[in-house]
Amino acid sequence: MSEFAQPEQYGLADLLCCAASREVGNNEIVFAGTGLPMVAIMLAQNTHAPNLKLIFEAGTLDGRPPELPTSVGDARCEMGASRASGLYDAFSIAQRGYVDLGYLGGAEVDQYGNVNTTCIGDYLDPELRLTGSGGNPDINSFAKRTVFIMVHEKRRFVEHVSYITSPGWRVKKWPGGEFVHRRELYGAAFRGGPSAVISTAGVFRFDEETGLMYLDSCHPGKTPEEIRDLCQFDLDISRVKGETVAPTLEELRIIHEVLDPDEIFIPKVKKG
Amino acid sequence: MSTDKRITLQHAAEIIKDGSRLTFSGFTIWRRPMAIVFELIRQHRKHLHLIEVQGGSHTEFLVGGGCVDIWESCWVGHELYGKYGANLSRKVAEKKLIVEDYSHAEMMFRFAAAASGAPYAVTQTALGTDIHNPEYDMLGRAGLRDGKRIARHKYQFTEDPFFGAGSQVLVPAAKVDIAVMCVQQVGEEGTVRVNGQYYSDPEAARAADITIVMAEEIVPEEYLRRNADQNTIVSFEVDHILECPYGAHPTGMFGRYDVDGAFLKEFYGRSRTQEGFDDFANEWIHGRNHLSYLEKLGWPRMLNLKANSAMNYAPREKKGGK
Repeated sequence: MSEFAQPEQYGLADLLCCAASREVGNNEIVFAGTGLPMVAIMLAQNTHAPNLKLIFEAGTLDGRPPELPTSVGDARCEMGASRASGLYDAFSIAQRGYVDLGYLGGAEVDQYGNVNTTCIGDYLDPELRLTGSGGNPDINSFAKRTVFIMVHEKRRFVEHVSYITSPGWRVKKWPGGEFVHRRELYGAAFRGGPSAVISTAGVFRFDEETGLMYLDSCHPGKTPEEIRDLCQFDLDISRVKGETVAPTLEELRIIHEVLDPDEIFIPKVKKG
Repeated sequence: MSTDKRITLQHAAEIIKDGSRLTFSGFTIWRRPMAIVFELIRQHRKHLHLIEVQGGSHTEFLVGGGCVDIWESCWVGHELYGKYGANLSRKVAEKKLIVEDYSHAEMMFRFAAAASGAPYAVTQTALGTDIHNPEYDMLGRAGLRDGKRIARHKYQFTEDPFFGAGSQVLVPAAKVDIAVMCVQQVGEEGTVRVNGQYYSDPEAARAADITIVMAEEIVPEEYLRRNADQNTIVSFEVDHILECPYGAHPTGMFGRYDVDGAFLKEFYGRSRTQEGFDDFANEWIHGRNHLSYLEKLGWPRMLNLKANSAMNYAPREKKGGK
């Protein structure tokens, strides 16, 4: 095990990337989104999880890209892949239940892990239309676990998201829209749900029975109380384990020298 | 068998009428039929109804160009070169565009249903989300669900009648008039060979009533038929073909050229206002044809995007210096 980096040796993006990378186990099948998650998965592949299998939503199955793809449609994805095909394959495999873990992002999250990537404000008269769902709800419905990587701001950790794009642990039952446990809606298709939110403030997990988010670890320099104040809902801080584990020097080397030397997704810490 | 499926770029755009239900090849910023998209903007096509597995840069051009009334899909943006669809967001805020949101898998399965002649698909995705909020059926709210051109319902819930697996969502087949494809190779009789990920192209081509294929090159049909197992779309599914090198630019094409990120970034930045979009369109689209567009881009820019034929992309580390 390589030694841990000192706070001045890494940036927030490095910390997020390493925390995300540690969520994946060896031999797991992982659905990769564009951006930081891709670096995190490839970091895991280069460290503790050399046998993990990567699925890119656009249709690459068990890909081993030698150079960081800029999106899942990228020609780089399929170098060394088991099969390059299309979205029907990727989503069928996911719905069939092959996927252990998916990495996702979001603009807003609520205390049940419901995530919004669709619009800010009233859907029928939005303040801002965002990108839309993409595969966020699909990966979140089909995978056994999902990890969300998010910027932490009080306006993003909300009581109610403007629009539930992606299902958390307690979701809306239509046509009435009352909140029920996810297990009740998904029936035989229930496999799990969001297992962690990694924000720029800390790492959060969920009580799978109550469906409520709790603080698991604080990033260096943050206190549980400060993080609770950064949420619009009453965050449970009683189960906090301590500080988020820092990147190791070896992880930093792999991120910046092997995976993302051009700083496409992860900026290097500037030497002062 | 039609003996000559060849048409011109201008004719390809003319086949797409005002109000057509349209879909495309590709994925977000890859293999989009941009040359035809630009021609549609030049020809001031109106009231298009886009039904797409997911949107991308081409969507943003068509929406900014005022060509689109309805967008049924799940995502729009330029990936890391523009984090959301600025034109679509603006038109939604101005209520000049109807957006019908589905999930990505729902859209894919809708196309798979249409491609197999089934009226709907069944899935277990996105349960409990606002995608299924009955208040958010936007085509229904607009009174457009006639059960003919547009499905009678956005979705329906049902219980699994066979294995008791619980709630299922039924989503209507994605019935489209025209699919516009952009691929590496098409044969003279219409056989298509896509290299690299084929995204949702086979389903899109099969779902549409008319399929137009724009290719980097038209090749002898017999060349493709020597290795039929490597072909992607069947000859008789394709109605019209045209050759248009670099027709996907600024989006990328596996094995040929990478995404022109600088171009998309500039478009995203400038198209955040309608004036900015119009200015960009005047510079790059109006008063031009495909050749003068390529001329304006220039050789150095295109060479920089050129894919290495062994790796199928343009490696970031250039061999032999810059």
